[in-house]
Amino acid sequence: MKNVIEVNNLTKNFGDLKAVNNVSLSIEEGELFGLLGPNGSGKTTMIKMMTGQIKPTEGGARILGVDVLKDPTRVRELVGIIPEQENPPSFLTSEEYLHFVGKIRKLDNIESRCDKWFRLLDFENQRKVLCKDLSRGTRQKLMFSQAFIHDPRIAFIDEPLINLDPIIQRTVKDYLEDFIGDGGTIFFSTHVLEIAEEICTRIGVIDKGRLLHDGPIQELKDTKQHLEDFFLKLIKEEG
Amino acid sequence: MPMILKTMIKEEWRLHTNLFGGLMFAFFPLLIGIGTFVASIFLPYLETIMTTRQMLQLAHYLFVIFGMSIGAFGLFGREVMNRRFGQASLIAYSSRSLPVSERTIFFNFFIKDIIYYIILWILPITMGFVFATPFISINSILALLACGTLIFSFLIGLSIVFFLSTLYAHSSKLLIILLVALASIVVFLIRYLTIDITTLLPSYSLFYQPSLRKLLLSLSLIMIPSILSLIFLKVDYPERKKQYENSLPLLSKKLDFSPHAYYIAKDFLDLKRSEGGLGKIIFSFLFPIALTWVFLYIFLDLIPTISVIMIFSIFLGIVSSSIYNMLTEFDTFNQYMFLPVNVSTVIKSKIISFMLISIVSLIILIFAAVGTNQLVYFIPALCSFITISLYSLSMTIYFTGLHPTLLMYNAKIFFQYILTVAPLLFVFTIVSIINPFALLVSPVLLLVSVYVVRQSYKKWNIWQPLSF
Repeated sequence: MKNVIEVNNLTKNFGDLKAVNNVSLSIEEGELFGLLGPNGSGKTTMIKMMTGQIKPTEGGARILGVDVLKDPTRVRELVGIIPEQENPPSFLTSEEYLHFVGKIRKLDNIESRCDKWFRLLDFENQRKVLCKDLSRGTRQKLMFSQAFIHDPRIAFIDEPLINLDPIIQRTVKDYLEDFIGDGGTIFFSTHVLEIAEEICTRIGVIDKGRLLHDGPIQELKDTKQHLEDFFLKLIKEEG
Repeated sequence: MPMILKTMIKEEWRLHTNLFGGLMFAFFPLLIGIGTFVASIFLPYLETIMTTRQMLQLAHYLFVIFGMSIGAFGLFGREVMNRRFGQASLIAYSSRSLPVSERTIFFNFFIKDIIYYIILWILPITMGFVFATPFISINSILALLACGTLIFSFLIGLSIVFFLSTLYAHSSKLLIILLVALASIVVFLIRYLTIDITTLLPSYSLFYQPSLRKLLLSLSLIMIPSILSLIFLKVDYPERKKQYENSLPLLSKKLDFSPHAYYIAKDFLDLKRSEGGLGKIIFSFLFPIALTWVFLYIFLDLIPTISVIMIFSIFLGIVSSSIYNMLTEFDTFNQYMFLPVNVSTVIKSKIISFMLISIVSLIILIFAAVGTNQLVYFIPALCSFITISLYSLSMTIYFTGLHPTLLMYNAKIFFQYILTVAPLLFVFTIVSIINPFALLVSPVLLLVSVYVVRQSYKKWNIWQPLSF
């Protein structure tokens, strides 16, 4: 399997704060990589740097062979992103928003793509509602749809299951598993350990900007360790 | 000071200072004051075309218009509270989680905004004038009185539009009836009772002939419309519809002359569907322009050497450039950050949206030229309007990108903007008086605008977006 995500010495300073500190990692095609960490540990900053939304202080990343520093827009063309805070434009309906994203991504068959997502995530009855009037869960569904509407090979998803009801959570988990089964790659950031344990093929643990662990989830399962115990021990040792 | 108001003031201060530092924000009113001081020093030179009395009269009416341009609180309801700061979490949203009514929150927000406008704009302007009076042989006591009456003028404009916009929020028909009735009364007064409409403003009359009656009249004009507006304010603006058909493809198709048609379509849907709808353009743009036209027409009619349409075209150009501010209020770049979009793409689409809305300004200019029988000056006025509007727009874009309403309060940025725009306005005004036809060559400056906009694309594409 070839590496589709390569991160080298990625560092981000906000003044005196080192939000991300010299992180390097490689992710292969077909992996569902879960980046775990406490609140404020640097997960979102990592995703933002890897997708060219913010510039790193040092280091760099290549996504599908594209240097994110040189061509961040091309990286965002190739991948799908669910940002941490869902904020679709207030005065477009959810259908218009997906249409808008489809136009930005220069897609064909936009309507059938929209239909697919409204059906899959069961929010057909919300397609004509303004984004500002959507519930948080429906907004999350919309943001999930926009991230996958162009059938990307890689998706960066930041806490994608929060606010979703258990039925849709199951649908999303199944979709993600099918996605990686078809050769897609997911970079998944969360602090909900049960979800990571259930669906990730590999996990990384980050705290205070430093990557403390990087390895297959199977390693933990083989040693009969619970992810929660492992995570808490790691953070405590570091703390 | 009530706790909510105090906290809101602190919050507004921190929003600005977090973005560009306390010093740059604190310098803003100082800069306005210094600018007014310098401009006031040159006032005696204007006496060849306008008396001091006329200048002060004009200043009072300009303050009314300034108040009017920002007074459409009634129209925006809850939205007025987030139009400048997008999705930032403010105390303005506290009523959703705390036991405080939305009306109370809005009342405090209204007072806070007035305090901020007075501190940032009104006081610095008036104090700049007061400090200049020893150098221009105007009595300092009179200047201090002018300070007070100018603030009254600002508040009168603000409260009148607050009232009218609240009325509009309830019934646009009621507003039209009231406006027609008011216009009829004004026409009647001018035609049949030979009343000088320019002296009817109580705050101005108070300045020239101070009396308790005029003071009370001024205060009533401020308090009564404001109180009525706050009582009848629609905090939750009723939406005509909760659901909308997908208009984006159809609208984009109509705009397909531009490669950014869907961004432009989004701009128009934002304007149409946001609270207050197109009323925003009426109250924040058309209404002040219409009044400016009336005042300029009345004032400059007294000065035959000045062509009203030429001066109006300059004013129209600079006010039109503010449409860009309105267009940038509905979406922050955060909404595009995770998509394959550059800042320059969004800016390009805003420029085209701006040009389309500017057609309204162009129609106003045509009507003004026909109405005043000054068609002979129409082409130079058109050149002047287009050049000023696009030049100012290019500078706004260069200095503030997609955040004009926030970044203009950075003293450094505002100073740079004024330094690049004010000399042009001055030159255009002088040339308009001396030889309006010389402005036929002014569109050459559009080359500068194009260059500046191109530089802006480079500058803002590598810029790290603002976050709160």
